[in-house]
Parts: sequence; structure tokens; C-alpha cells
Amino acid sequence: MNMLTVQDLRKIFGKFEAVKGVSFAVEKGESYGLLGPNGAGKSTTINMITGLFPPTSGEIHIKDIDVVKNQKQAQKWIGVVPQEIALYQSMSARENLKFWGRMYDLSGSALEKSVDQVLEIIGLSERAKDKVETFSGGMKRRVNIGAAILHKPELLIMDEPTVGIDPQSRNHILETVKRLNNEGMTIIYTSHYMEEVEYLCERIGIVDHGELIASGTLSELRETIGDHSKIILAMDKERFNPEQITESLTTFFSDKDFQIQDQQVMVFHKEPQLILTDFIQSVTKTGAKITSVDIVEPNLESVFLHLTGRNLRD
Amino acid sequence: MRKIWTILLLHLKEFFKSPGVLVLMFVMPALFSWIFGGMTMNSDQNKPVVNVVLSDSPVSKEMFNLLKQDHHFDWKQQSRNQAEKNVSAQDAVAAVVLPDDIGQRITETKPLFDIIVQRKNEDYLALSTHLEGTAGLVLRSYQATSKLEADALPKVLDAITNNKGIMVEKQIIQKDSNNSVETNLMFVGFAIMFMMFGLSGAASTILEERIGGTWGRLMVSPASKLQVSLGYLLAYFFMGWIQFAVLMVTMNLLFETTWGSLVYFIPFASLVILSVVGFGLMIAGLVKTKQQASAVSAVLIVSTCMLGGVYWPIEVVPDLMQKIALAVPQSWAMAGFKEIISGSLHSATLMRDTLALFGFSALFFFIGLRGMKFE
Repeated sequence: MNMLTVQDLRKIFGKFEAVKGVSFAVEKGESYGLLGPNGAGKSTTINMITGLFPPTSGEIHIKDIDVVKNQKQAQKWIGVVPQEIALYQSMSARENLKFWGRMYDLSGSALEKSVDQVLEIIGLSERAKDKVETFSGGMKRRVNIGAAILHKPELLIMDEPTVGIDPQSRNHILETVKRLNNEGMTIIYTSHYMEEVEYLCERIGIVDHGELIASGTLSELRETIGDHSKIILAMDKERFNPEQITESLTTFFSDKDFQIQDQQVMVFHKEPQLILTDFIQSVTKTGAKITSVDIVEPNLESVFLHLTGRNLRD
Repeated sequence: MRKIWTILLLHLKEFFKSPGVLVLMFVMPALFSWIFGGMTMNSDQNKPVVNVVLSDSPVSKEMFNLLKQDHHFDWKQQSRNQAEKNVSAQDAVAAVVLPDDIGQRITETKPLFDIIVQRKNEDYLALSTHLEGTAGLVLRSYQATSKLEADALPKVLDAITNNKGIMVEKQIIQKDSNNSVETNLMFVGFAIMFMMFGLSGAASTILEERIGGTWGRLMVSPASKLQVSLGYLLAYFFMGWIQFAVLMVTMNLLFETTWGSLVYFIPFASLVILSVVGFGLMIAGLVKTKQQASAVSAVLIVSTCMLGGVYWPIEVVPDLMQKIALAVPQSWAMAGFKEIISGSLHSATLMRDTLALFGFSALFFFIGLRGMKFE
């Protein structure tokens, strides 16, 4: 059963088409990641799913509810963790949670119980009475998540929930999200941190320039680049001649299999150990001086690079 | 309803937590009213003194009563010697000597009153106008009663002095504002001005919430746009009323002011607060940041308060300015409050002021809600 179905979703702001016909579906209990660089259209897609603004065209269904037509009904089923820390800073963590709980129709002892449970989940029971403005960035992010799960939503939508926080808080958040997913909550997680998406999400959609350019499990996505590893040679600036290196490499490799970028030369291959010596010799015979050698296993970064010709964080 | 109440309480709490807002909405207007109110009250107690030297005739006594109708002066009966000394020492603006035989004065075409004055200052100029008017009245009364009995003239003068018929008719049309009404209006004016500052500042927090993300979070919650809007607007409305009520009670305790019939005052004040909330919402809907809202509000509030008779009575400005004042809500608010506080309660005037304020409120809310971004 699909928890979320997005069909040919488009959003146009003036003359700019931010989302260009995105379609995907998320099953109940699944964790789905939307990966893409800043400005790719992830947040716009998320904002249309949550009902913050209507799509120019296309359909969104949460369970069987049409989000465009029955926005408020659909919003009862979802929890939203926005990119910003959307909390009242001069209020305590408990006061914030109680306020947002009431917005989701919780009241009385059910509200109190839910607030206590959430404070425990986010690890802030001890600091419940402290004002949010006194918290670290990571603690604020945790309350931000807490405010979205008070009403035990079936679908939790998280828009870059770990931006700008310390590794310890990030780990806590990732563990919390993993736990919620294991308990049956459906998760949609957007990020431009590929390692987070790799860790949390069963299926991943890659978004670029408003389009969903690939979607599938991590292994399915890896297959799109033929499970190739990447050998990266970093070069000294002085004797680096890209034309000579290109000429030398074409005797061993096809154009698709290597890239020259800045002072780096990269080759993609299933078994990098077999070609490493030839690769290094081809480069050094041009007179170039190698400063470092790296072998990178295939990951989302290389998938993204393969699909778009750009790094994820460009 | 619970969601509206939750949003309302949240903003009232936030409001009372902010010392800056509290100073702007309570301390400043109370301070202004206390200083300016104190000045007005003191000036009321320090009226210029005019000494009156009476003769033994009954006409003289009635003329004295007639003179005392001008409440801008403190009229005191004195002997001629004491009056001369008081004028000389400038303890009195002037001394008015009332004649023994008024008929003889008129026949000999002599001035009706002898005036002893040290220096013709502004107070004396005001006094002389009143004296001339009174002399004219006495003269016409003398001419009308010259062929009647001897006690006819004092009786006529007494009737003029105590003519309730004329006063009653004036009350029905519109009461003249006295000093106390003007002072109370000044309190109301300060309250309106600072309320405009306070509430437009509060309304512009929507802009901060939009940037901070809480506004967006509310929009993606099951709370409807109507519930969210009502929560915010009712919070501002209550803030306005709390401010108004606190100031009313404070002024009442400090200066024993009265506010007219509360049956009229409360609904009219509610309408004024509603239009001020609408004004704040309009500003918040027209600009993009809180800083812009503060700058635009400051310019609009100060200028429209000047035009609308908040700082000084609208009657003292030229006709053209009075016509321009009709385009700002404060002038209608002040006019309505004047009707209520003075006790005139002239229904046509009150209705006109009420309708005008409804019109302004509707316009402000229309612009403000159109400018509000619910996305």
C-alpha cells in the first residue's frame, strides 16, 4: 500500500520552473530519501507534499487523500520537520511541544503523555523547562523534530534536518529517525549529505534541476554506473598539462571512463587494482607529478557525478 | 476554537514577556498623560484672578453673577482699596468696578464698568471681550426694562444668568467641550498613538515568524488559515484592550477622569482598537521585513496622529487641514470619543464616526489579509 503517491508534479514560479514533472511513490513503513544539491527542487517538492503551497499541476495523494483538494485532512497524517528551526525561541522546550501538540488536536493527559515521551525520544527530558534560545544548534534541531512527531504521524517528512549541527547531535538525530522508521513510521528524508541518505533510506530519488533523474535502492543506483570505483590522482600544479594527459589516457581508456577536473585526474573502473599501474604510468610519462592517489568505492556521490557530471555539493 | 485560543494565549504571553513592548504600550502613554495631564489640571487650578468691586444696588449683584459665567477667570469680590492693591501687585489681572446707578451711566453715555488694570496682557485681552459682551447685554436689558418697575432690570439679568432653556438646547445639539473633556481626550489620544505603535510592532512579528519558519509550520499543521488568522488578530485585539483598560484605570486613579457612558465607550473603543489592529495588519501585509514595518509605521503613525487631532484639538488647525483630517481614522476616533466623553452622545455624529471607522477597518483588513502570505 502506498503511503504517498506523487504524480507528474510541477511548480512554476513566474518564468522559473522549479519542479518539472516529478513522480514517485513511497510505501507504508518505507524510508525514502530525496538527494540533490541546493536549489535542485527538493524543498519545493516537499513543500507541495506538505500542502504549504499548491502545485502548478500534478497530483499528490497521502494514503487515499488528495492533498490539493483536502489539504487539512491530509495534514493530520503527516509530521513535518522544516529546514528552519521553526520554534518559539523565548519559550521552553516543553511549552513549544505543548503548543505544536495542540495544533495537531492533542489535549489534556494525552498531550502531557505525548510531550513526555517525545522529550525522552529526543533526549531532552532534563532540559524540558529551559528556553529554546539557550539550547545548542543540535538540541534545537532535536526539539524541531520532536514537534513533528508528537501526534505520531504515519508519514514523517524531514527537510534537511541536520543542517549546521555537530556530529554528536547528527548521530542522535539519525538514530532517532532510524528508530521511528523501525517502529513503522514512513519517512521521507531530504538531504544533500549522501552518507545520511545512504544510512537511513531504503530507496533514494536523485533530484537535479527540478527533475527526478534516478530512483531506486542504493544497489540499483550503483548499477547505473556499472558498480565502478573511482581512482583519483591529485597532481602538482607546475607540470600539469591536461591536453597531454588526455592524449596519453585515450590509449588505454575510452572518453567516458576518465575525467580531468582542476588538478585531478579520475578514472572509473570495476576493478581499480588491475588498471592502477597503467593509469599512473600514462599520467607520469607526460611529466606530471602525482601528489596523492585515492581509490573511492562506488557511492551516491559517484552516482550523482555520473548522472549529472557535477559533484553533489557543487 | 481550541487552536484559536492556543495561538491567542501564546502571543499574549510573548507580548507580556517583552519589556520593550510593555514600556511602549503602558509606561510611555501613562507618562505622557501624567505629564501633560498634570499640566492641564494645574492650569485649571491657576485661573487668572479678576477682582470685582460691587456697589450696594441689586443690579450690581446680578451683573457680578453675569460676569461669573466666564469660567476661564477666577472672579473674586473685593473692596476698592484691596482690588487696587491686588492689581498693583499683579495678583489680579484687573479689577472691575460696578456702578451704583447704571441708568445715569447709560444716560451720560459713560462706560458701564470702570476697569483698573496694571498691564494689558493676554489675559486682559480675553477679559475685555467678555466685559464688552456683558456690558452690551446689560445695556439692551436696561433699554428693554427702562419703562417698567425699578426691580425689573435685576430680574431680567437674573433670568439671563440662570436661563436653563438655552443651556439645555445647547446640550441636545452638541456640548461644548470643557477643559476636563479636552484633558480626557488627550489621554485617549496618547493611548491611541502608543497603541498604534505597539500593535503595529506586534503585527509585524508575523514577518519574523515567516522568516523563522513558525508561520510555515502553522500552515502545514491541521489548523486552518481562518483559525490561525483569528488567533493572531484576537491576540492583538486583546493586547489593545488590555492597554486601553490599564490606561483608563490609571488616569482615573491619577486625575479622577471620567469616560462618559461606558455603554457607548466600550463598543466604540473596541471599534477603534479593531481599526488599529487592521492598520498593523495592513503594514505587515505591505512590507517584507520587521525593520521596514517599523520605519513605515513610525512615519504613518506620527503624521496621521498629527492630522487626526491626537496631539491637539482638530478645531485649532485651518479648515483645509480639518478637511484632510477626514482621510485619517484618528480624526473619526477622536470625534467619537469627544461625543462620548463630553456626554453629548449626539446620535447622528456618533453614527457617522462609527461608520467611518468601520470603513477604515474594512479597508485595512482587506489590504492586510490580501498581503498576508499563507504559503
